[in-house]
Amino acid sequence: MTDSNQLVAKVRGLATNQISILVGVLAVLTIVFTVLEPKFFSTATATNILTDWGSVVLIAVGQTFVVISGGIDLSVGAVIGLSGVVSAYFMVNILGESTKTAPEDAYIPLLLGAIVSVAVGVFVGYVNAILINKAKIVPFIATLATMGAALGLSVIISDGMPIGGPNDFKLISAIDPKWMPFSVAVIIVAIVVAIIGLFLHKAKFGLYTYAIGSNAFAARAAGINVERHISKIYMLSGGLAGLAGIYVYMRLGAGSPSSGTGRELDAIAAVVIGGASLMGGIGRMWGTVLGTLILFTVQSGLIMAGVAPDWKKVVVAVLIAAAVAAQTLQNRNGRK
Amino acid sequence: MKRSVRALASFGALAAVSLVAAGCSAPAEEAAPEEISIAFVMGAESDPFFQAMKLGAEEEAAAQGVTLIWQGDPSNYSPETQIPIVDTVLAQNPTGLVLIPTDPTALQASVAKAVAQGVVVANVDTRVEDLTDVLTFITGDNADGGARAADAIAAKIGYTDGQKYEVVVGLTSPTATTNVGRLDGFKAQVAAKYPGIEIKDVAYSESNPEKAATNVNNWLTKYPNLAGIFAIDGTNASGAAAALEAKGLVGKVALVGYDAYPDNVAKIKSGIFTALIAQDPAAEARLAIKTLVEFIKTGKTSTAKEVVIPNVVLDANTSEEDFAKYTYVASN
Repeated sequence: MTDSNQLVAKVRGLATNQISILVGVLAVLTIVFTVLEPKFFSTATATNILTDWGSVVLIAVGQTFVVISGGIDLSVGAVIGLSGVVSAYFMVNILGESTKTAPEDAYIPLLLGAIVSVAVGVFVGYVNAILINKAKIVPFIATLATMGAALGLSVIISDGMPIGGPNDFKLISAIDPKWMPFSVAVIIVAIVVAIIGLFLHKAKFGLYTYAIGSNAFAARAAGINVERHISKIYMLSGGLAGLAGIYVYMRLGAGSPSSGTGRELDAIAAVVIGGASLMGGIGRMWGTVLGTLILFTVQSGLIMAGVAPDWKKVVVAVLIAAAVAAQTLQNRNGRK
Repeated sequence: MKRSVRALASFGALAAVSLVAAGCSAPAEEAAPEEISIAFVMGAESDPFFQAMKLGAEEEAAAQGVTLIWQGDPSNYSPETQIPIVDTVLAQNPTGLVLIPTDPTALQASVAKAVAQGVVVANVDTRVEDLTDVLTFITGDNADGGARAADAIAAKIGYTDGQKYEVVVGLTSPTATTNVGRLDGFKAQVAAKYPGIEIKDVAYSESNPEKAATNVNNWLTKYPNLAGIFAIDGTNASGAAAALEAKGLVGKVALVGYDAYPDNVAKIKSGIFTALIAQDPAAEARLAIKTLVEFIKTGKTSTAKEVVIPNVVLDANTSEEDFAKYTYVASN
């Protein structure tokens, strides 16, 4: 076995290990919450957790690429609000639909609304890319600026009020409340996540992302067009936030400017719990998927167990600290 | 060198003034020399409550023939962003100031500064700690709103003594004083009139309707016999309504919300909301401006030092006229 093969095997072992830790954490949480409140172990709870997972996992997946590349995208929460509001405005004022539209007639407007929503997200991602690549603003500040602009615009467009539009709540409800906790929307999200996951781990796109995050100079020397790839990553993150925007629209039956408030931090938390390093170069799709699941299992479990809501933040903070500490320890062991 | 600095400074000042002026929504009429101008500094533009208030303020300013300077942060309800806005507005030398203090102590100095400058000050919705310098304080009655919510839930579930009912309350944050006032009013009314109603839990939405929906989803799983939900503000109302719709529980769980967003008002008619408690922010704004103008012109006012504008309960029995009157209207 050559050195590089050994390295590959070691990295693979480490990743598998991390995933198994996350699954273990999830199992422990499920047992603890079930002991505290037996109703927690139910299809209804699974539906609740998966419904929450559906919106945040999309922005967390985008964030995974951004974080692996060594950046951060703070605009995704505001993009959920903006894209939801713009697509609601589009469906109501341009397509002429309303909350009175029959559920079975809502599918085409929703599909068109989804396209508008994703386009809004990609556009914000494009602006992020210009600020980062051309204006040379660090991602933290660039995306903080677009976060503010997106929030402001969504308030201007909506007058700060939710815009109700066409919807079929069945799309967001469990297919069978007794046996099948997945909704159609969650299944679509899972498919999207799987495809994007392949991009990260099986395609050149992912390889470039890791290369840039590990060492941008080396990546450039190896012939990667770093600026162009960074642009693609932020547009992907924005586009996924736009998809989350229409998902949240479908959950609420309305586009609301505050519907993404604070979600960027949930996404970053999920990515970090999933084992990605904010220093770049490290992170896996399964980690993010499970990290998001852990986040919402905790949220749901604490409500079900009747724990005071303020504790949720404390528990999530402990999880993040534990995840980062585990990473640091692993890195140290890896270097030995 | 000196000259260029001065030129730059005056350019900066000009730019600042024109920026503020651009933010004003009052029609720019020809300025008479002793024209009355009322500055109105609210909490956060993104809140529909303030959008409705803006309409009332604009109406009254037009009726009184005074200039309105409407200002406030786009989305942050905080003293850090509000204090500099008050300073900028005072630099325009308004005759009167309607202030919605985002913090009772932090904004006290701003009120003192305005009064020292000869500006007459009114508080609306929220107040500064010490009202000595304030001409009048006009607000909605949060405790009364909470009590009426309890009445509406009791009526919907057909409350009878001896029975047990489970109810939950969705709040935005533990520190929003309006939320706390409403919850206190709700609890007091339940304790006094409906001892069979048990408030099982409260949770926070952090101003995000999706999080409000999450809270309700989990409650519905934990309390399969849940009788009612009190959604304490517009955001919680939107989220709770969506959660009931998605779970197919419309009409089966009593849902009383707050704030008359058009989208939520429509849901009274479709039976999703049992009732909505509406405030009348436009009336608060109208009275504040009327009082200030009266005082500026005559040196006295007939408005009391503290005025409470009653809430309105919108439900299936509300007339179309009242729906139209109390629904928050978009301003553009």
